[in-house]
Amino acid sequence: MDFGFTTAAYVVAAVLFILSLGGLSGQESAKRAVWYGITGMALAVFATLIGPGAGLWFLSIILIAGGGVIGYQLATRVQMTQMPELVAAMHSLVGLAAVFVGFIAHFEMVNVAAAMTDGKLIGSLPEMGTFANLIAKKSVVELNILRVELFLGIFIGAVTFTGSVIAYGKLAGKVDTSAAKLPGGHLLNAAAAGLSLVCLIWYFNSGGFFPLFLMTLAALFIGYHLIMGIGGADMPVVVSMLNSYSGWAAAAIGFSLGNDLLIVVGALVGSSGAILSYIMCKAMNRSFISVILGGFGGPAGEQMAVEGEQVAIDADGVATALEDADSIVIIPGYGMAVAQAQQSVSELTKRLRAKGKTVRFAIHPVAGRLPGHMNVLLAEAKVPYDIVLEMDEINDDFPDTDVAIVIGSNDIVNPAAQDDPNSPIAGMPVLECWKAKQVFVSKRGQGTGYSGIENPLFFKDNTRMFYGDAKASLDQLLTKIS
Amino acid sequence: MKIGAPKETYEGEARVAMTPDSAAQLQKLGYDCVIETGAGEAAGFSNAAYKEAGVQVVKTAAALWKAADVVAKVRPPSETEIKRLRDGQTLISFFYPGANEKLMDLAKGKGANVIAMDMVPRISRAQKMDALSSMANIAGYRAVIEAGNNFGRFFTGQVTAAGKVPPAKVLIVGAGVAGLAAIGTATSLGAMTYAFDVRPEVSEQIESMGAEFVFLEFEDSQDSAGTGGYAAPSSPEFREKQLEKFRELAPEMDIVITTALIPNRDAPILWTEDMVKAMKPGSVVVDLAAEKGGNCELTIMDEKIVTKNGVTIVGYTDFPSRMASQASTLYSTNIRHMMTDLTPEKDGQVVHNMEDDVIRGATVTFKGDITFPPPPPKIKAIAAAPKKEAVKELTPEQKKAQELAVFQKQTRNQVGLLAIGGALILLVGLVAPASFMQHFIVFVLSVFVGFQVIWGVSHSLHTPLMSVTNAISSIIILGALMQIGSGSYLVILLAALSVFMAGINIFGGFLVTRRMLAMFQKS
Repeated sequence: MDFGFTTAAYVVAAVLFILSLGGLSGQESAKRAVWYGITGMALAVFATLIGPGAGLWFLSIILIAGGGVIGYQLATRVQMTQMPELVAAMHSLVGLAAVFVGFIAHFEMVNVAAAMTDGKLIGSLPEMGTFANLIAKKSVVELNILRVELFLGIFIGAVTFTGSVIAYGKLAGKVDTSAAKLPGGHLLNAAAAGLSLVCLIWYFNSGGFFPLFLMTLAALFIGYHLIMGIGGADMPVVVSMLNSYSGWAAAAIGFSLGNDLLIVVGALVGSSGAILSYIMCKAMNRSFISVILGGFGGPAGEQMAVEGEQVAIDADGVATALEDADSIVIIPGYGMAVAQAQQSVSELTKRLRAKGKTVRFAIHPVAGRLPGHMNVLLAEAKVPYDIVLEMDEINDDFPDTDVAIVIGSNDIVNPAAQDDPNSPIAGMPVLECWKAKQVFVSKRGQGTGYSGIENPLFFKDNTRMFYGDAKASLDQLLTKIS
Repeated sequence: MKIGAPKETYEGEARVAMTPDSAAQLQKLGYDCVIETGAGEAAGFSNAAYKEAGVQVVKTAAALWKAADVVAKVRPPSETEIKRLRDGQTLISFFYPGANEKLMDLAKGKGANVIAMDMVPRISRAQKMDALSSMANIAGYRAVIEAGNNFGRFFTGQVTAAGKVPPAKVLIVGAGVAGLAAIGTATSLGAMTYAFDVRPEVSEQIESMGAEFVFLEFEDSQDSAGTGGYAAPSSPEFREKQLEKFRELAPEMDIVITTALIPNRDAPILWTEDMVKAMKPGSVVVDLAAEKGGNCELTIMDEKIVTKNGVTIVGYTDFPSRMASQASTLYSTNIRHMMTDLTPEKDGQVVHNMEDDVIRGATVTFKGDITFPPPPPKIKAIAAAPKKEAVKELTPEQKKAQELAVFQKQTRNQVGLLAIGGALILLVGLVAPASFMQHFIVFVLSVFVGFQVIWGVSHSLHTPLMSVTNAISSIIILGALMQIGSGSYLVILLAALSVFMAGINIFGGFLVTRRMLAMFQKS
């Protein structure tokens, strides 16, 4: 099959991918959109397999099928609460694949160069594949550009790989979630980046494998150290950032291979991740740089002392208040995911709605550990999505709300963000649940949670603390509400 | 230790400082309880009920004062009572130390520790023992009931077969605890309720209770945060303005309930004689400040009078006592909370910790010393309201100009970005070879398309977006597929690994996305 068909198939695939991302603007169209993506991918793989350059297609199909079986197992077994880990783990695969493909391209270049110096090379070299042919036709400038592209692809791929592995570890609780840095902090990162730059110049001039390899090690270190230094609460940004990186890596490899589809898809994924990171940062009122450089900045001055006491309440009290309430807003957070309480929340919602009460959900953009994490959990528990609202949609309604229930969230309902200019989260948009007539906070204990910031909400007069594991508490509550 | 409550000696006082319920709670703190016989009778708690709760009933007041280590009372002690105090004994009651210096001296002489329930500082932690608030709550409720009792019409407007009844109009002056309780009661009875307060920040509370805030246009209105949430005296100009407003309202109002008090001062006169004259016959004024001289010029303390033009003015001061059962329940709970704070170990031993802001604030005599007035509490009751900047009404021209400015700025930004981007691309084009530019254009356009498309993705679908982009980023498989057939074994091995990993990703990513999307459903 000739080159024209493959290109045509790539164009169709690219359009399908764009449609598949665009379709995510609504829940209903999204269901169609995912099929566009699948078709696009199938078409791209098929066209490449029968197109020029590909060999060993039998082996390829077996490998894809093998990967597919594992992918299927993963996708069907994973719990919805583990989505962040899964996404991070899969990013690492893309990163590693990008590194490998970059290496391969390098070896090909070396092969071709060797062939050229042997003087054998006139015309095409069918036994070496199209990519080799492509290289053979390139001028010196083009070869140099190719090296830079290759280098970038491997660099970003390597950062993505270790970064994602660490992010996975942190999300799965296998690595300590607090921000940790080796002594030397960002200097180490800068040194590694500097080393990579040196390697780039070296590689540019020599074309040897060693600088490439050295740079890969440096990049792997950067990925590891960068993500180690970012606290657990910033994980939504990290995951979307890594998502973006995996896209840019694909795009860079696409440049070096001269494959337009890789470039298109890489750019799409890259910009998607970049926008998500931007949205997440904005939701936390922090600059992207400060998230990447890790940890919350130190407090700007004396923080307001929190005054008052946390008043506890038992399930009976909450049940009575819920019976009396007309409008209820539930604010879920990571604690709900940890306790796997989404089913109980859903059941509670169902019962309250059956009594004719208005029940709605308020979702902060950074609730959970992944953009949109809470929406997915609630959807899993069959909470209808039209009562699940964004922060901007519901924040003005709190003064008219009888009861707000905070389930396992902390910073996103912290009034200090508005009241205390010295709070580390000052200026971050938060859900103003304290304006509701009564607030119940389901929380494991009196601790300050992930970011370690004291939350004055818990001390407010209209706040009652409903201590205990979120699922256990809600199940207890369900026995009181028929 | 023993805690006891005597029968109140003040005439007409029906409340009692300990109920069977509160006694049960006190026993949990490790105390033994005693009560004077018949002390709870007027509030509806019989001796038998107390006995059932495990309270020892003693015959006389003298015996009680002798038996109890801690005496809980409602009204300030009489001189006879204070003489019964002994060294080390603790007395908890309303005391009004500012007005009762003589009593304070006597208590000091006896060496007793006196905790004045009316001196509990107004901080959130102490709310559970804020007896003034719980009594004010009752007074506010009762004031409306009392007004209704003397008012010849319905509160709520009705259209009946026998004709139309207009709703009663109620004005509440002073929106403290009592005022807010009165607002709540009046609105729930169906009256049209208006409320006024000198502190503009309570307008929100007033409106939340369902009344209309009577707005007074005046600059420099006071912020009560510095005075512990209480009102402070206002300037003469402000007062004038305020009275003018009331004069305007007087003929319309059917019921006026005044609750304006300033700590340690006589009540301000807010409802003057001419306002009473302007009211319709049959109207009612209930003056909750009667004890401090009254907000209404014509109020007579402890009496109900009817003026010549038929306006009833109620000047009772014993509203809580008129609801003795409820008042006793709340007050005894306040006392019980105070005892909880005084008994940190729950072992029935009083630990009078003068370092504690609340206990220190409420103690007026301690170990033979007068400790009144207390130092100001370390914590302010309410955070100072940030100075609000007046939002200016924009004229249509200004609005237009503003919109235009925004539009121009956007245009400038966009054009600027486009110019910079274009220049950069041109610059690249100058040095880069044509084959690179072909791909570069594809790249730039894709980034552009990506940005346009992704902004439209709904927030709730961000997780599916991530997993789907993750799946399609395994397009890197193409790179591996293109090369797997060529070159050395090392290349084949690396390419095979890449294909395998990308395979996991493609299937995993798409399947999990589908799984997630299938879960989203409408109600």
